[in-house]
Amino acid sequence: MPQNADNVLDHLNLFRQPEYKEMFENKKKNFENPIADDKLEAAREWTKTEEYKEKNFAREALTVNPAKACQPLGAVFAAVGFESTIPFVHGSQGCVAYYRSHFSRHFKEPTSCVSSSMTEDAAVFGGLNNMIDGLANTYNMYKPKMIAVSTTCMAEVIGDDLNAFIKTSKEKGSVPAEFDVPFAHTPAFVGSHITGYDNVIKGVLEHFWDGKAGTAPKLERTPNEKINFLGGFDGYTVGNLREVKRIFESMGVEYTIIGDNSDVWDTPTDGEFRMYDGGTKLEDVAEALNAKATISMQEFCTEKTLPYIATKGQEVVALNHPVGIAATDRFLMEISRITGKPISAELTKERGRLVDAIADSSAHIHGKKFAIYGDPDLCYGLAAFLLELGAEPVHILATNGGKAWAEKVQKLLDSSPFGTNCHVYAGKDLWHMRSLLFTEPVDYLIGNTYGKYLDRDTGTPLIRIGFPIFDRHHKHRYPVWGYQGSMNVLVWILDAIFEDIDRNTNVVAKSDYSFDIIR
Amino acid sequence: MSVAQAESIEDIKARNKELIQEVLKVYPEKTAKRRAKHLGTFEDGKPDCGVKSNIKSIPGVMTIRGCAYAGSKGVVWGPIKDMIHISHGPVGCGQYSWASRRNYYIGTTGIDTFGTMQFTSDFQEKDIVFGGDKKLAKIMDEIEVLFPLNKGITVQSECPIGLIGDDIEAVSKAKSKEYGGKTIVPVRCEGFRGVSQSLGHHIANDAVRDWVFDKQEGKPARFEQTAYDVAIIGDYNIGGDAWSSRILLEEMGLRVVAQWSGDGTIAELEATPKAKLNVLHCYRSMNYISRHMEEKYGIPWCEYNFFGPSKIEESLRKIASHFDDKIKEGAERVIAKYRPLMDAVIAKYRPRLEGKKVMLFVGGLRPRHVIGAYEDLGMEVIGTGYEFGHNDDYQRTTHYVKDGTLIYDDVTGYEFEKFVEKIQPDLVGSGIKEKYVFQKMGVPFRQMHSWDYSGPYHGYDGFAIFARDMDMAINSPVWKMAKAPWAA
Amino acid sequence: MSLRQIAFYGKGGIGKSTTSQNTLAALAEMGKKILIVGCDPKADSTRLILHAKAQDTILSLAAEAGSVEDLELEDVMKVGYKDIRCVESGGPEPGVGCAGRGVITSINFLEENGAYDGVDYVSYDVLGDVVCGGFAMPIRENKAQEIYIVMSGEMMAMYAANNISKGILKYANSGGVRLGGLVCNERQTDKELELAESLAVKLGSKLVYFVPRDNIVQHAELRRMTCIEYAPDSAQSNHYRELAKRVDANAGNGTIPSPITMDELEDLLMEHGIMKAIDESQVGKSAAELNVA
Repeated sequence: MPQNADNVLDHLNLFRQPEYKEMFENKKKNFENPIADDKLEAAREWTKTEEYKEKNFAREALTVNPAKACQPLGAVFAAVGFESTIPFVHGSQGCVAYYRSHFSRHFKEPTSCVSSSMTEDAAVFGGLNNMIDGLANTYNMYKPKMIAVSTTCMAEVIGDDLNAFIKTSKEKGSVPAEFDVPFAHTPAFVGSHITGYDNVIKGVLEHFWDGKAGTAPKLERTPNEKINFLGGFDGYTVGNLREVKRIFESMGVEYTIIGDNSDVWDTPTDGEFRMYDGGTKLEDVAEALNAKATISMQEFCTEKTLPYIATKGQEVVALNHPVGIAATDRFLMEISRITGKPISAELTKERGRLVDAIADSSAHIHGKKFAIYGDPDLCYGLAAFLLELGAEPVHILATNGGKAWAEKVQKLLDSSPFGTNCHVYAGKDLWHMRSLLFTEPVDYLIGNTYGKYLDRDTGTPLIRIGFPIFDRHHKHRYPVWGYQGSMNVLVWILDAIFEDIDRNTNVVAKSDYSFDIIR
Repeated sequence: MSVAQAESIEDIKARNKELIQEVLKVYPEKTAKRRAKHLGTFEDGKPDCGVKSNIKSIPGVMTIRGCAYAGSKGVVWGPIKDMIHISHGPVGCGQYSWASRRNYYIGTTGIDTFGTMQFTSDFQEKDIVFGGDKKLAKIMDEIEVLFPLNKGITVQSECPIGLIGDDIEAVSKAKSKEYGGKTIVPVRCEGFRGVSQSLGHHIANDAVRDWVFDKQEGKPARFEQTAYDVAIIGDYNIGGDAWSSRILLEEMGLRVVAQWSGDGTIAELEATPKAKLNVLHCYRSMNYISRHMEEKYGIPWCEYNFFGPSKIEESLRKIASHFDDKIKEGAERVIAKYRPLMDAVIAKYRPRLEGKKVMLFVGGLRPRHVIGAYEDLGMEVIGTGYEFGHNDDYQRTTHYVKDGTLIYDDVTGYEFEKFVEKIQPDLVGSGIKEKYVFQKMGVPFRQMHSWDYSGPYHGYDGFAIFARDMDMAINSPVWKMAKAPWAA
Repeated sequence: MSLRQIAFYGKGGIGKSTTSQNTLAALAEMGKKILIVGCDPKADSTRLILHAKAQDTILSLAAEAGSVEDLELEDVMKVGYKDIRCVESGGPEPGVGCAGRGVITSINFLEENGAYDGVDYVSYDVLGDVVCGGFAMPIRENKAQEIYIVMSGEMMAMYAANNISKGILKYANSGGVRLGGLVCNERQTDKELELAESLAVKLGSKLVYFVPRDNIVQHAELRRMTCIEYAPDSAQSNHYRELAKRVDANAGNGTIPSPITMDELEDLLMEHGIMKAIDESQVGKSAAELNVA
């Protein structure tokens, strides 16, 4: 009997005991109708070949292990960033259960979001009644200051009209006429989660700036000296936004972070559950119209929002998830240029420290080959940093990247001697990446939690940077932006490299000679 | 009188009534009326729990429920490891349910096994407008090229499929024919169907009946049949649950010919109509196919409960009662073998857990099934409810709960929070969406869907882990730190 | 002038596309800059203007290119008679996919890509009935301000007109859409003008124009031309010009329709002697059964 009250074995060890191993063997042999070992082995080896890669890349219809989610997820991400705001997703209820679980698994925090729970009858007759009842219930139960409405694919296929539905709901008294209910159509079959982020941010700004769907006068812009900041869809939002605030404050810049979800996904355990915490104040959202400029940290997350803001007369600046020296330099210099405020001595010193750290460690990274996958801007930012470190980002893959993104990354690669042998893959998935890692191996892989399957299959050590990170805790609390954030990225990469070296040099009397105590 | 210190049954019942009235106050009138039917207190001797169930969730209240797709792809079909399950529609559904349910299996993933992979048709606007059938056919062709060792394909429909009227059955039939009779199963589990995961279970069960069983008619068993062949039905092998159950059945002399569906294979599904007895753990999700096998193949089925030694003992004897003395003796042998382990586990953990109060809100069987395990540890379940239970679940629940237990069906975020806040249990057992809400409140919590990444909890081996985990949650030093010493 | 957005709805086969294209051609003669957005999956809303069998549609081009984001406005917009700009939304063949979603996709694309810039009139030509939310896209807020229902004195056409009014009513309460009026396309049924006028009144609207039947329209169609272009001096062309003038003068005069019940509709037909009072004892009986009785 393997189990023991004194030393309780859970799944990690229990199933390695002989009783279980024998049981597995018998189950397989007698009942599973298994594939013969040699046939299995041959197939496994075949998937590593150039021939398989070609067939794999010839895929036109099937997607396997994509690195993207759907629009409504991004919609929820954006909506929780406003003060006391509850996201209300119009469509099937199961979707909302999924978004909430997904975020809670990443942030280890609650995620509050409601659904209009549309079912078969609503599919036929439209979801107006679901909207009317749903808004009334949410408003009464959760006492929000704002309800941000988005859609699932179900509501989009049947063509429900949010604007009209919300108006009718208000007429029926679901929420007071003056209560803020911004909305965005977020069909899951268009774009990805970053598109949903974009649509909701734009929808919220339009609501406040353009007359609240015809219920209030449009706002007139009176320019001031403030800067608006958009982070984009970002798994490190908790750490990053705090770091960005520190940077702005260090330079004495007045700023508005639009969609600040850094507090709601980092609430304390002190006996109280905070459904809402922090978030961009609604009056600040309205006031943001007057800002001098808006900086977007992720161009491909704000493809519609930035041009919209520009039509109001603001300057808009789009960055690509800046990581490293040059990208952070540009970020700070843009702030300085726009505001006329100098970059602070504190930040300048931090820059020096990051250069110092790179100088100390770059010998271990220089010339190493990496594969990166993730959201378009994240890929760009990390690739730029790797080039700066003298490493080669050999495979850069974004399932939700398009042509414009691929061209932009290619330009980046062309700008550096370390980019010569590197390639960009737009619209590909992690099964494509698997082939690449076999046919053109690299030293390290950077990606989200799902990269662990690639690590296991191909033996390429995974450095977890991206979204979601389910199987490591608290990474989202660390920034990856600014010099300090870049320092975190540098350290995570170095840790992986050193651990890898140690793992490969720890066999006594065989490979113990490089098991160095100082590196 | 503080509600937390209600003592007598009458006090408790009065407190529950008061609590229910209080939470209902927050709702608009129409909603309050509807929700009132789902909240109640169990009265001893009643045939059910006095609440309505399996009714549409109310818009905007933050239901915890999922959808039919989750019930089919996530629960019933997804764990069949040697088939490829296509999440057919936009990318999200497959992405959010990708490998998150911990249905353990053994196999070469990507080659002959596909459990922790996400296959999707990643619908784009043009697929909605022009229909997705051609794309689906092409996907099946590509699967045959790239994953030649797959043993079959299922099509798990997402919402748009039913709305745009795609004919996935026709595509599946045509492709099955083209690939020499390969099992290809279209499943109409669009998320807007039904009121919860539950209809997805039913639809998935029916798909097994129509697209797997019917094809096997008249074919002989792949193995030599014995009088002791049983199938485990409704165990999804969360953290290895089906394995720590299977080992007991085998030890008592039975032969497990199939696992449904945790660590299951298409061969096992096909073999099940040859079994002598179906043993059913999750009644909710697989009673349909069990009833079908009873009617069509004359295979009896027997519900069992492998949580905690009392229920395990009872269940082993109940299962054995369907067989001869050899098996009955086997059951006694197994019970005797594990008793010292159980005694040791209880001796170790019961003193730390005695008298602790638990509130549950889970899915198909656990809101009742785990109660015995808690009681084995001296704990008391004072509130429970089902995400997607039906009235027959609430009837079965009466055999487990005590007089005065608070019952909440399809509980809303608001209600659950208020109930826990007022009752202040020592432990809440529910899902990932609820976990952090209660932990923030300083209430110990265990996820009772995923076992909080631990497990198995089934069987004797599992009970030791269950006991350890409950102790770990309740007696963690962290809960004493929640209040700053200087805070009022 | 500020942008006017109108839409033509009507039962299939009623001559909706012919009427709309002739009216728009006449408006173009008046110097108006016009954009036609065909929202019928059949994609036949612009053939008379373009002299073409069928225009490449937004959705077919998007499907080829990958997604609608890969398209440029020039790819989908054609210019025809009197510089009328034409786009066709297109959609799936009957029985597959979701044509309604296609309408949403197309209109979003056009708006985002500035198709409406510098235009006096946008005209949506929409499938017979508002069968789902997608086909209501042109009557959402900030889309068409007035709807013109093309109908005739036939029972089913009037039934369809009433149904379309129901659709408009739904959106009129929350948005700005109004019923511009009915356009009766003569079918030479009994008391057609009288009926059309009565229905218009019942619907709280008016009969904008009664277009008489003339074979010249068919002659023009065979040449894939509007009557206005094929026979500019014909009496029929003058009818369309008059219709165009009335539409142009109708800005802001639309009403919130008051659709009627099926019973009221039957009463209307009876009032005009089109339908005899129904003997309830005969309902559902076959000819043979009635003979026996």
